[in-house]
Amino acid sequence: MSHGHDDPTLHPEVQMSTSRGYFSGFAISSILMFVATFLVASHAVPPFGLLMVIAVCAGIAIIAQIYFLLHIDVSEHNIWNTVALVLFMPLFLITIGLTWWMFSQLYLRTMIMPGMMH
Amino acid sequence: MSSHGSNVDPKTAELWDKSHYQHDVISTRTFGYFMYLLSDGMLFATLFAAYGVLSYQHSYSGGPTPADFVKPWYTFAQTMALFVSVLSYGLAMNALKHKNKSGVINGLLAAFVLGVLFLALDIHDMTHLASSGITVATSGGMSAFIILTQVHAAHVFFGLIWILVMMAQVLAKGFTTDVVGRLLTLRMFWHLQAIIWVFVFVFVYLWGYMS
Amino acid sequence: MLVDLAGGWNPMLGRLAWSQIPYDNPILAPLFVAVVIGAVLVLGLITYYGKWTYLWKEWLTTVDHKKLGVMYILIGLVMLFRGFIDGLMIRTQQAWAVGPHSSGVFGATHGYLTPFHFGQVYSAHGVIMILLAATPLLVGFMNIIVPIQIGARDMAYPYLNALGLWFTAAAGALIMISLFVGDFAHNGWFGYAPIFELQYSPGVGVDYWIWTMELLALGTTLGGINILATIIKMRAPGMTWGRLPIFVWASLASNVIALTSFPALQVALALVAADRYLGAHFFTAGLGGNLMLYTNLFWIWGHPEVYFVILPAFGMMSEIFPTFSEKPLFGYMTMVLASMAIAGVSWLVWLHHFFTMGAGPYVNSAFSVATMLVGIPTGVKVFNWAFTMYRGRLTFNAAMLWAIGALFLLLVGGLTGMMLAVPAINYMVHNSVFVVAHFHSMLLTIVYAIFASVIYWFPKVFGFKLNEFWAKTMFWLFSAGTALVFVPMYMLGFMGMTRRLDYVFNTAWHPYLLVMEFGIVVYTLSVLAFFALLYVSVRDHASNQVGADAWGTSRSLEWLTHSPVPFYNFAVLPHVNARDEVAWRRDNGIDHVQPDHYEDIHMPNNTGVAIVLGGLTFVLGFALVWRIWWLCAFSLLAIIALVIYRSFKGDPGYIITAAELEQMEKAAMRREARIGKQQHRVGSGVLGEAIAYARSDLPSLASQPGSTGGLDHRS
Repeated sequence: MSHGHDDPTLHPEVQMSTSRGYFSGFAISSILMFVATFLVASHAVPPFGLLMVIAVCAGIAIIAQIYFLLHIDVSEHNIWNTVALVLFMPLFLITIGLTWWMFSQLYLRTMIMPGMMH
Repeated sequence: MSSHGSNVDPKTAELWDKSHYQHDVISTRTFGYFMYLLSDGMLFATLFAAYGVLSYQHSYSGGPTPADFVKPWYTFAQTMALFVSVLSYGLAMNALKHKNKSGVINGLLAAFVLGVLFLALDIHDMTHLASSGITVATSGGMSAFIILTQVHAAHVFFGLIWILVMMAQVLAKGFTTDVVGRLLTLRMFWHLQAIIWVFVFVFVYLWGYMS
Repeated sequence: MLVDLAGGWNPMLGRLAWSQIPYDNPILAPLFVAVVIGAVLVLGLITYYGKWTYLWKEWLTTVDHKKLGVMYILIGLVMLFRGFIDGLMIRTQQAWAVGPHSSGVFGATHGYLTPFHFGQVYSAHGVIMILLAATPLLVGFMNIIVPIQIGARDMAYPYLNALGLWFTAAAGALIMISLFVGDFAHNGWFGYAPIFELQYSPGVGVDYWIWTMELLALGTTLGGINILATIIKMRAPGMTWGRLPIFVWASLASNVIALTSFPALQVALALVAADRYLGAHFFTAGLGGNLMLYTNLFWIWGHPEVYFVILPAFGMMSEIFPTFSEKPLFGYMTMVLASMAIAGVSWLVWLHHFFTMGAGPYVNSAFSVATMLVGIPTGVKVFNWAFTMYRGRLTFNAAMLWAIGALFLLLVGGLTGMMLAVPAINYMVHNSVFVVAHFHSMLLTIVYAIFASVIYWFPKVFGFKLNEFWAKTMFWLFSAGTALVFVPMYMLGFMGMTRRLDYVFNTAWHPYLLVMEFGIVVYTLSVLAFFALLYVSVRDHASNQVGADAWGTSRSLEWLTHSPVPFYNFAVLPHVNARDEVAWRRDNGIDHVQPDHYEDIHMPNNTGVAIVLGGLTFVLGFALVWRIWWLCAFSLLAIIALVIYRSFKGDPGYIITAAELEQMEKAAMRREARIGKQQHRVGSGVLGEAIAYARSDLPSLASQPGSTGGLDHRS
């Protein structure tokens, strides 16, 4: 049970770092952010489509960072981190999603301005 | 005694621990810290919820909107500073794996310098806004924009202090269990800043610029 | 950047001035004198008996989870008393200031409290009862019981645990000092936009409210992380998820809620602070702010919070009913699932606090349905407790009475909650005292469970039982008070009386208000009975001593170790073989098998850093309230410096050697053997039917420690 107790650098959470993983995470997210910035700055795509495209870019970049940088996977040493993250994920969505939904409904009924959604 | 949910034979059962059970100090620390980071993520989620409600046209009360002042490529430079800083920290962790002290120190130092660059770009941006009369007091929409981005910047600021402390600890104490545990928790903290930044960059800066 | 203030401000003292001390207030000034005399008396007594070193070494710098838990509970009880006094003041004002002909004193037109003062009283009552009474009491119990129930020596992070306690204490001190320096918020415990904006509340009251709650949120988040990590990482060998006591499961569910929801409170209040300090426009009525956004953000936390406080109470009841029914808990698995379901659904219901916002039928029906869903797991729990008692061998001692009281109140509160979940009904009774009566029923469920637990776990922590007679007297007085205050309140709610009235215009309500006033007097008697309970129990503690298994019918792991629990909890960590380990060992006659040899134990050192950090956060909070910027900067820098210092210093801990351990264990076992004999001699006549040692149907505790009991067992 007490692995790496004598030499902490042998602890599995230290040993799981690889420069290849860090470079992959860096490259994927940098390229995606570059693409998103380029598309937005050059107004290449109509607004709604653009929003979808940059949202997908952000989503993939996040997943790449979580996987390569935070080492979230189902291995023995990360399983509890993964469980905690998976339990939190719906709560992030609930907090943001339900708030936006209820206020869009509220604005629909209380504000005079039409078509205000950005 | 099925009512106890046990089918262990009491005559032969082991009653006291003989395995010299000792919990793993480092993973207990990193797991607890990861939970703290998730609650920090909830803090940002709530700020994003507030930003969503306060980024309608009427939230800017006729005043300036992010579309008027966001410069995508400037913020992209900030993004790269933070990403390279995070990459340097990752390489420092790789050096830790090989017990390479100078590698760890160099990686931390690079992460620190790039973090300072990120923060300097952010502060420059904010003072520029303030000089053109845009502050939190301008409108509800601007309050949400500035507070959300500056809460992230504050996280980076405290991360920088922490990086300095860890450089000193690595030099003074070497790779003890405490120091290695802290390097691992700081790794999670620093990487989380990059993850949050992706959201801030795409959904606050870029989206704000678009609309 | 910082907003301009209307009143006076100077760089040295901020907004602080002599005029902020309410020395001319006829209620606060005498109270202040009494508090000063009391404090001088207490400090003098400590000095006289030379207890400062003891206090510092054993309590103020401790990282022992049991002592921290006891201090949490002490803070909770003191604040419960303060909150009760606030309740007494509210009831008296409402019984007095009825109709245009009611008299007025102390500057009030009607009654004895001015509207502004009355507003502060009910705001403080709410904040204190929920965040400074219920929360510390429950966190205290989780702190004490969870590590022992899972067979751990301490929490995962003992130092963090101390930090959480001292943040809570700092917040308590901040809210108490608001009585005598400045004023408190008058916007209700959850606050309303835009009344808490600087424009409408220019005083410091709202600032006290903000920073008190922020500190509490911080402390509770840290505590939540600690308990979660303890449960997940520190379980004894053999303590599988299917064998965890229900109280531990409930604590797990509850702290998942704390961890996930408290950040929302921190953000909501920080944004109020941004409005008040930086001139932002989050919740202002103009310039693009949104009033309802505050209400939304607050209740994103607020509703999960009420489940955060009720779930540990459910856990306590799940421990007490089986013990005094002499049966295992009915439906263990459904109980676990129900706790988790409540935690999950708690995140989908917050809009029911503001159905009347007008977000429309889709939003309201979605949240209404989600709210009603809570009734399912709660109903499962109620039936499980009922089936646990069904055909059990019930012992109606004080702990059991309080737990049954909690069950009845849960029914009343739960069913009225189901009524409120229907938006059509909610529109009728919104903001009426019907709502107030509903959530008091729910929170009193918690109070009942807490008093049940105080009686139930007191002998585990202190080694002697509380007096049965006074505990029962207190129970009946408290229950009479509950009925007399809250039944009329439900009725007044239906009659249309709104909450927070400093003047009641309708004289037809007067009889009900007088009955409620009588009820609060009965409550006061129950508080006196509580003091009598403590006094009599401590006076007779020599004859109330108990051994490891204080009730004789206990089931979970905390009853395996000695009472009072030694600071290292278990000399040798137990290997868990069954769900109700102690009941399993007792039923198999192996409950007296002791470990045959000991090994060195590694323990954390005490530290003064935590209490100093707590003190500094108090200073920071005070400086922020009064806008003393240099003091803010100083205390913040001191906090950072101290954290870095502690990080460099670390804690190597210390070792209890096997020989020392054996000595302490032998002493504890001698004590237990002595008590076992004593119990037989005294018999059950004096201490009531709850004493199980003299019962023939249970194994005797008088057998020699270390002997193998009924079975031939070699450990």
